[in-house]
Amino acid sequence: MTGPRPRSAPPAARLTARGVVRRYGGIEAVAGVDLVAAPGRVTGLIGPNGAGKSTLFDCLAGTARPDAGRVLLGGRDVTRLPVHARVRLGLARTFQQIAVFPTLSVADNVRVGAEQRPGRAGDRTARALAVFGLEAVAAEPAGGQPTGVLRLVELARALAGGPRVLLLDEPAAGLDTAQTARLLTVLRGLADDGMALVLVEHDPDLVSELADTVYAMADGRVVAAGPTAAVLADPRVVRAWGR
Amino acid sequence: MSTLHAAALHSVGLHPAALHSVGLDSAGLTVDLALAGLTVGSAAALSGIGLVVCHRATGVLNLAQGAQAMLVAYLLRDLVVERQWPVWPAVACCLLLVAPALGVLLDVLVYRPLQRRGAGAAETMVAGLGVFVLLIGVVVLVWGAAPVGGAPSPFGGGPLVLPGGHTLRPDTVAQLAAILVLALTVGATTRFTPFGLRLRAVVDDRRLAELAGVDADRVSAAGWAFGSFTAGLVGIALAPYLLLDPYGLPLLVMETMAVAVAARLRSIPVAVVTGLGLGVLQAELTRFRPAGQLLPLVQAVQANLFVVALLVAALLAGPGLTGGRGGVDVPPARARGGRGGRAARAVCLVLLLLPLGFRGNDLRGALLVPALALVLLSIVVVTGYGGQISLGQAGYAGLGALGTALLMSGRVPGLPALPAAPALLFAVLVTAPLGLLTGWPAIRRRGLALALVTFAVGTTLSRFVFQQPYATTGLVLDRPAFLAGDRAFYLAELLLLGLGAAVVRALHGGRTGRALSALRDHEPGAAAAGVNVPGLKLFAFVAGAALAALGGGLMGMAGRAFDPAAFDPVRGLLWFAAVVVAGADSALAAVLAAALITGLDAGTVAGVSAVAVGALAAAIGRLPGGLAGLATAGAARAGAPPPTPPPPPSSAGPTGRLTPAGRRVRALIAARRASGGQAGP
Repeated sequence: MTGPRPRSAPPAARLTARGVVRRYGGIEAVAGVDLVAAPGRVTGLIGPNGAGKSTLFDCLAGTARPDAGRVLLGGRDVTRLPVHARVRLGLARTFQQIAVFPTLSVADNVRVGAEQRPGRAGDRTARALAVFGLEAVAAEPAGGQPTGVLRLVELARALAGGPRVLLLDEPAAGLDTAQTARLLTVLRGLADDGMALVLVEHDPDLVSELADTVYAMADGRVVAAGPTAAVLADPRVVRAWGR
Repeated sequence: MSTLHAAALHSVGLHPAALHSVGLDSAGLTVDLALAGLTVGSAAALSGIGLVVCHRATGVLNLAQGAQAMLVAYLLRDLVVERQWPVWPAVACCLLLVAPALGVLLDVLVYRPLQRRGAGAAETMVAGLGVFVLLIGVVVLVWGAAPVGGAPSPFGGGPLVLPGGHTLRPDTVAQLAAILVLALTVGATTRFTPFGLRLRAVVDDRRLAELAGVDADRVSAAGWAFGSFTAGLVGIALAPYLLLDPYGLPLLVMETMAVAVAARLRSIPVAVVTGLGLGVLQAELTRFRPAGQLLPLVQAVQANLFVVALLVAALLAGPGLTGGRGGVDVPPARARGGRGGRAARAVCLVLLLLPLGFRGNDLRGALLVPALALVLLSIVVVTGYGGQISLGQAGYAGLGALGTALLMSGRVPGLPALPAAPALLFAVLVTAPLGLLTGWPAIRRRGLALALVTFAVGTTLSRFVFQQPYATTGLVLDRPAFLAGDRAFYLAELLLLGLGAAVVRALHGGRTGRALSALRDHEPGAAAAGVNVPGLKLFAFVAGAALAALGGGLMGMAGRAFDPAAFDPVRGLLWFAAVVVAGADSALAAVLAAALITGLDAGTVAGVSAVAVGALAAAIGRLPGGLAGLATAGAARAGAPPPTPPPPPSSAGPTGRLTPAGRRVRALIAARRASGGQAGP
């Protein structure tokens, strides 16, 4: 693409969770979790069903408020901020069940993300569309697109907002092998550019291929954390994952 | 005064005025009032039982219940008074034949197709409103719009005398007995019979239950028959105390929805206790007469306790009460097509310019079209663009008209009597921020919960603000002097409508419009894109209130008076249904709907517009996207496939909560699948 470069790439930021607790009824879905997602790295979050991954993810993204603990974005406490305010500070997310706006065109889907920050929304939209190769379908309604394209539309929308941290909830669900490969390349590229990525994932192959650091959760707690290979080889993790 | 309160007092021969002048204050009066309250209370409890049972069997809150009750009441009066049938056979025919048949008919024609398609809460709700409006239209067509008295009561005998000299009407006794019988029967049926098990399975997961061999259609048909039967019972119980009125009676029954909402649409005992309690409380409140300025307010609360209860119950019910199983708030919009849109634009332009050739009464009647179109445009903005259901826009229109009248009459302290134009402008500016009344609840509510809250707000405005003495007597509302002529005023209306439409269009094409579409299509997704969702919702409701107020003010000026009946909540339901039928997500829909409503009623017989709008809305399951959707469907077929609605919230997923019956069904299916059966999806 030939669009202008960003005036300045968004400054890198670290996402930190400190002692995050979230209860549902009497159950602690997340029971005091510490987590750091560093700029330029992909941080994986794994665990069996009910381990508390999604709840932790919601606490990070802002769809759920922690009952205790704090969430910091680049040193700023965002624990009490609503979702859109976090997004505007550079904390973007994608959904496990694709969240696009079916009545808007692909380009307008991305533009909605670009328009929520000051600056030239048109440029940011064009750039995000180009990164994911969506120019050809830009004018078409998003509602009619196949799953693979919609995943990319959602990512492009998140990217158009200029995030510093990107939370990904099973981003490869519903994608075929080729699409997944392309996605991995793009995500790797984003991390190499200094973005902090958090990846909630069921697929061990994807985690081992993409993540630099992995947190393994069980029963609301982190049971293992560290370099990907080490965590995936941890006996507790192997047992939980059954491989 | 046609309120549940008046009905209660009438039932023991007490009139509010008489009561106050005598100033009775004895323990005996307390008992008498409680017994009087039981009459309305037991009717409300019956209504609650019907709504709860029907909701449990079908997953749908029967919004048309009030209209069903009215239809049965009219029919009974017709049979007994006009056709001279004996009372009891007429009652049996109405309750045991007509009412259940009506319920089954509605199920087969309206609700079953929606359920089959897995339609969202909003579509089901619009269909229910359609049935409501349709039945009102039918009654107006058959029996006329003028209120009639003399509804028969099956119990002719004198009152029962209780120890202590207190009296209880025999029909109250019968209603209480009916509550007991119905509650026990329903409870025993769901707990101890195979049908009850099937019922609970269908409520948990209709598709799974069907796969397990349950005839879900029969279960919901039974639910609708029962719901319709109790609706008839309520209608027959209330009618003797009231004038039969095609708009008033359904609204009264809708107020008793408070009882079912308070019971979270689940618990029959809570519904019964709430109904009886509210009835008694309402009667007892008559004795509470504070001195001074509070009196009118207290009297209004007494007279409209069920409205207040509906508002409170809807607010307390909160986000949990979504109605139906997930889904989007409004029917999914179609991608806008070029040619269909252009044709619709041309039609609208002709419709609007045509009246310039009219004279006399025709022209005067047409004055309503642009004004009403502005009010309907507010529904397009809030519901069509933003995806927020608002059934209370008639309230904002009324505030615009009333505000203009108050300002013109010099009734606002500290302000002189204003000329017409500044008064209208001022009224619009004051009404706009009041959009927060419905905008604020909308932040955390959607679907049915939001519909109930906005309806309750609209009804509250109507009862507490519009129908008060200060608003109904001695107000001046007129057009600006230079627009006194009908043609000049019509042109001015067209200008304002054009201005409003242009502003809305500019808004919709820009950043705000995209954000609104995002909000309508997928709320969490919009927030994740950085859209300030609460702020945007408030904005939509404030803009909607301003548009509605402008339209309402013009409606008042056109008729040169403030008429509270013009902004009746039931009329608001007709408006909402008309906009959805006309397409909801374009400004053209507002014009089309306004012309449809005004033109049909003026050109034919009163009630035709309600029948037409109601029938179309009830058929929404077969007509997604409304009339405009039909126009653009061709374009959509030629181009991209129609947009798929976003997936329902995850709570509706396979891991959702199941009752034991549901789990049993699921286990059954799993077993079949394991044994190589064909049951799996």
